[in-house]
Amino acid sequence: MKKEDTVKLISAEGFEFVIDKNAAMVSQTIRNMLTSPGDFAETEHQEVTFPEISTTILEKICQYFYWSLQYASGKETEFHIEPELTLELMMAANYLHT
Amino acid sequence: MGGACSRKRDQQTNDDIVLGGVSRRYSKSGSSKWLGTSFSRASVDNKQGNTIPPSLMELCIYKISQEIDEYGTFSMLPRDISQQIFNELVYSQRLNEASLEAFLDCALQDINLGEYPGVDDTWMDVISSQGSSLLSADLSSSDVTDSGLLHIKECKNVEALNLNFCEHISDVGLGCITGLSNLTSLSLKRNTSITAKGMSVLSGLVNLSKLDLERCSGIHGGLVHLRGLKKLEALNMNCCNCITDADMKPLSDLRNLKELQISSSKVTDNGVTFLKGLHKLALLNMERCPITAACLDSLSDLVALLFLNVSRSNITDDGCDKFSKLKSLKVLNLGFNDMSDAVLAHLKGLINLESLNLDSCRIGDKGLVHLAGLVCLKCLELSDTEVGNNGLRHLSGLVNLESLNLSFTLITDGGLRHLSKLSSIRSLNLDVRQITDAGLAILTSLTGLTHLDLFCAKITDTGTNHLRNFKKLRSLEICGGGLTDAGVKNIKDLKSLMLLNLSQNSHLSDKSLEMISELTNLVSLNVSSSRITSAGLKHLTSLKKLKSLSLESTKVTANDIKRLHESHLPDLVTFRPE
Repeated sequence: MKKEDTVKLISAEGFEFVIDKNAAMVSQTIRNMLTSPGDFAETEHQEVTFPEISTTILEKICQYFYWSLQYASGKETEFHIEPELTLELMMAANYLHT
Repeated sequence: MGGACSRKRDQQTNDDIVLGGVSRRYSKSGSSKWLGTSFSRASVDNKQGNTIPPSLMELCIYKISQEIDEYGTFSMLPRDISQQIFNELVYSQRLNEASLEAFLDCALQDINLGEYPGVDDTWMDVISSQGSSLLSADLSSSDVTDSGLLHIKECKNVEALNLNFCEHISDVGLGCITGLSNLTSLSLKRNTSITAKGMSVLSGLVNLSKLDLERCSGIHGGLVHLRGLKKLEALNMNCCNCITDADMKPLSDLRNLKELQISSSKVTDNGVTFLKGLHKLALLNMERCPITAACLDSLSDLVALLFLNVSRSNITDDGCDKFSKLKSLKVLNLGFNDMSDAVLAHLKGLINLESLNLDSCRIGDKGLVHLAGLVCLKCLELSDTEVGNNGLRHLSGLVNLESLNLSFTLITDGGLRHLSKLSSIRSLNLDVRQITDAGLAILTSLTGLTHLDLFCAKITDTGTNHLRNFKKLRSLEICGGGLTDAGVKNIKDLKSLMLLNLSQNSHLSDKSLEMISELTNLVSLNVSSSRITSAGLKHLTSLKKLKSLSLESTKVTANDIKRLHESHLPDLVTFRPE
């Protein structure tokens, strides 16, 4: 995987997730951060920090990004969500426009 | 987090409430609104033909609504999220008195529970706990009583309140809304307890722009309280047979009124005189009122008047020259009046007319000459008139016609050539016994047709060959008895069909169903009075969109259909025999 094809998403606890850029772009918010014109740190370093999203939730969100791409390409599986994560996941999804 | 990205209020789909839900069905029983509970948002195709994945938000909301009992409260969520959960629970009918508790103090803006089963006073605590956030509430068809409604006082910002078909709400309950001065829309359809006295609270609702009192039978004398409502734009009093001329008088002050509906009231020509100064009036519905053409004098200065319904009234030829003054009219309904061709002469100058209804009037070929110049006409209703082939000649230049109803007229095949150039026609009703295969052959140029009614026309298998030209047909009715399975073969390629009625063609067999099985867009199918048997039902399993199926007077039993419904067609809502 070439470095320019990936992005780094960093959780509140500082945990780093390196994922495909096109997966991360499933989120409209991340897409805007990475592609907005100007000298934003996010655009330059291709990394985004989420001080309000915990590692568990960010991991789940990354899973969703990949699931979403698969689904769009025709592999329509079920996406499992643990009941205890739902509310926190929703707030993150709201923020990320996902 | 969350709040910053809150979806704006106007992105939500609650227009229904704000508009008063005129087109919605309200009744406690017999409603099919709650029968469709599928969560099918994910399967929408995008332009590339790929499936759009459900958003993570949608997945979470769906998950919660399935396990709603696991959640004690949503009050920690941003309100736009709890609003979405609430809406999904209502949509999927998983909300009940117990799960409602989770929404206590959630600052919801919209509580849309119209026709929702089981809503009563016990729900009002949670509803009113939304406090000043609540902007709209629909409690129509609920069992909420006066004492339950008392709680709504706390929701000072409510803009739209819908209490249609709330049988337990009277003047006392209405008293609770006195302070809700932000109300712009109030709906009280079919409330028989409200009287003139109770209506006094309306005088304080100075921001009211829309008031619906349809079927309220006790409001005579109460309209005086509307006098000060300068912002009132729409007033519906259809089917209030207590309303008389005296009730019209206070309306003369409502200078901003744009829509007034008083159908089936006791208002006469005298009452209509009070509307003279309502210069913004655009819509006036006086169906079934004891009015005559004399009332048109009072309307002649209303330059904004676009829609006028005076069907089933006492209008005759007398004084109907006054129609010529209503030049701004776009829609005119004169149906079921005892009037003749003489009236049509006075419509000649109404060149803005887009829709004209002459259903069951005593008009014939001579009158139609006066319609020849009304080139804006899109919709013309001539059902049950004495119009024949010579009359159709005058319609041949109405190139904008989209809908034409000629059912039960005197026309024959020969007259249809006058319609063959009307390429804008989408809907054509030829439910006439004299129309045959030869007539259909003349119309093959009307390739834009989406609706074709040949109910009692004499169409045989030969005639169905011409149907191939109508590739866009969405509804088709041929029930004259002349079709066999061979004719259905020509119908099976009309893939856009959503409604198909082939009843009373007694020769149709299971083979027909086999061919119909390819029409996978069908929502409604009727093949009653035919030779269909239970063995044929297997062909219908591909019709996944079917909601209505009628196979009355065939060899199919109620049990056969029930089994088909349960095993393959879960979306069926009505079926016969049952």
